[in-house]
Amino acid sequence: MNVLIDNLGRFLGAIGGFITPLALFHMAWSTLLGIIIGALPGLTATMGIALITTLTYKLPPDLAILVLICVYVGAIYGGSRTAILINIPGTPANAATTLDGFPLAMQGLAGRAMGIATTGSVIGSLIGMFFLATIAPILGNYALKFQSFEFFWLAIFGIVISGHLTALEDPIKGWIAGFLGLLVAMVGQEGIHAYERFSYGTTELLGGFALIPAMVGAFGFAEVLSVMQNPPPERADKPHDSILPKLADVARYWRTIIRSGLIGTLIGIIPGVGEDIGAWVSYAAARRKSKEREKFGKGSIEGLMAAETGNNAVVPGAIIPALTLAIPGSAPAAVLLAAMFIHGLRPGPLIMVESPQFVYQVVAMVFFATLAILIYGVGLSRLLIKVLAIPRTRLMPVVFVLCAIGSYAITNRTFDIWVMIGFGIAGFILRQMKYPMAPLVLGIILGDLMDKNLRRGLVLTDGDLTSFFTRPICLVLWLITFSSILLSIDPLRHALQEVFHLVWSRTRRFLSFH
Amino acid sequence: MVKADFLTGVVLIFLSLYVIIESWRMPRLEHLKVHPLSVPGIVPSFIGMVLLFFGIILVIRSIRRGGHHLGFTSEGLRRLFNNSGNQRLLLTAFLTIGYAGFLIGTLPYWLATGLFIFVFIVLFEWGQGTNGARWRRCILPAVFISILSSAAITLLFDRLFLVSLP
Repeated sequence: MNVLIDNLGRFLGAIGGFITPLALFHMAWSTLLGIIIGALPGLTATMGIALITTLTYKLPPDLAILVLICVYVGAIYGGSRTAILINIPGTPANAATTLDGFPLAMQGLAGRAMGIATTGSVIGSLIGMFFLATIAPILGNYALKFQSFEFFWLAIFGIVISGHLTALEDPIKGWIAGFLGLLVAMVGQEGIHAYERFSYGTTELLGGFALIPAMVGAFGFAEVLSVMQNPPPERADKPHDSILPKLADVARYWRTIIRSGLIGTLIGIIPGVGEDIGAWVSYAAARRKSKEREKFGKGSIEGLMAAETGNNAVVPGAIIPALTLAIPGSAPAAVLLAAMFIHGLRPGPLIMVESPQFVYQVVAMVFFATLAILIYGVGLSRLLIKVLAIPRTRLMPVVFVLCAIGSYAITNRTFDIWVMIGFGIAGFILRQMKYPMAPLVLGIILGDLMDKNLRRGLVLTDGDLTSFFTRPICLVLWLITFSSILLSIDPLRHALQEVFHLVWSRTRRFLSFH
Repeated sequence: MVKADFLTGVVLIFLSLYVIIESWRMPRLEHLKVHPLSVPGIVPSFIGMVLLFFGIILVIRSIRRGGHHLGFTSEGLRRLFNNSGNQRLLLTAFLTIGYAGFLIGTLPYWLATGLFIFVFIVLFEWGQGTNGARWRRCILPAVFISILSSAAITLLFDRLFLVSLP
């Protein structure tokens, strides 16, 4: 009980700490910018956070992270507007939103659809926030028991599961992307003996590829290239009905809302599996359980609510492992994690020991960002439609200029601009060939963790692999990892299904006899 | 996609072999008496072997589906370059890489940036509208946006963030 009161006190203290004119000003502009970034097709949450990180170097750490979380929450919400109005997901997270959002808009209910998106996003964020506040401290304390063996498996588990779930049609591409990310992380001085790998004497590569330029390239420049390659989207229409959220919708679909919030949070916690998957899984679950299944895909309020609650609940969910294990739950959270390191913050298992207050500050940041999207969601409609009308030929050169200067500004090196270009081209080509980006980013972030912990683990046991496979958490992690790989092999999966059916039918027959 | 998978598989096999060989060549640091399982090459070689495995699967899979018949023809290449999306892509790549890789550092930052934005907008919007409308619909907005963006970004990074611009 005392712990609960302590934690509530910390949360309220954090809330109070942000009620200053300066913090409120930063919240206001960053959430609005996040919504605009999300609403513009081609500008994603990951790209937004990577670009805005470059604008926060001079801010104090707490304000910088506040700005980035506001951009994150805002962008995932902002994408729903585009999905509803022009049938193009503003960010990949809003792909499921188009299924029912756009049909509703076609029926003249664009305003109501936007209201539902606002309600869903706000409640989704709040559900995720609740779990961030309750699970993060527990996970943080639990993670203190983790040793090298667990961290090695966490890295591999993250890569394999993220690779599988972000490339469901062809998981091998997800895994290749993840291991390529790990390989990228091998470049530069390694953390145990300080040997310079793959840098061939160049001083620029001594510290490896800088994270922010790499991500600005993979998500920013690559996106500029693909937006310019695709045909231009059609322009948006003005909604004619009210965009105010309706409480009746919440009351009617409360089960769907809570289920989607829980699914979103859980998907968020799984490393590298982001908002898009959260929305799809919530949507699929809502359709399976719905009494109005036939309306799904034709303008279902419930479907739209599920998608928008699911994707926003992923945001706080994805921050949970980022804060407590330094393993990001999604691609935008990976950039957020990199930004935390840049600002001298040290997320990881020690966070609840070194700076428990920071965890609650992050919870408060999510709370304020949610409040801001509610205010903008109700008040902002015309501006967004005007923003959507900006031609890409005028927006993309400015975005690219920011990609270039943002990459340069961290360490004032022209080399980082080339890193951005290189990762941009590689990211574009990989994306064209249906390789997902999230596992790649996860690999880049987790490479160092995996490297150190595998070698430390091997030295600790003098090469004996038993501990890697028999410790309880390791056992769970490797079993899930290998099952994920084995189940993606078609003949093996079919064989297992047949065995399962056989056993199941025999058991039923046996039970019916007795 | 099958052809692309075949090529990716081949590239992946070469890349992973290179990584494995390089990892093998990394020092074992025996003179420092370090534990042989903590040497720098161990993890890259592990990653290299996993990538080699995936590369081989990708190649075998695409050969089974006929992906090794690459069949490059001049007709196919011409169609590739005549596609308007690919033309826009090449122009974007040329302009962006030209700006970030060469123009920055050669010209003063504000000038390079303004010039890049102006040329980008004009080249992509020139085809829209008639001669008379071009000034109003393309050149004027391009001048306006390039001056405004270049000035805002230069001031923001130079004065506010105190970055010494390239």
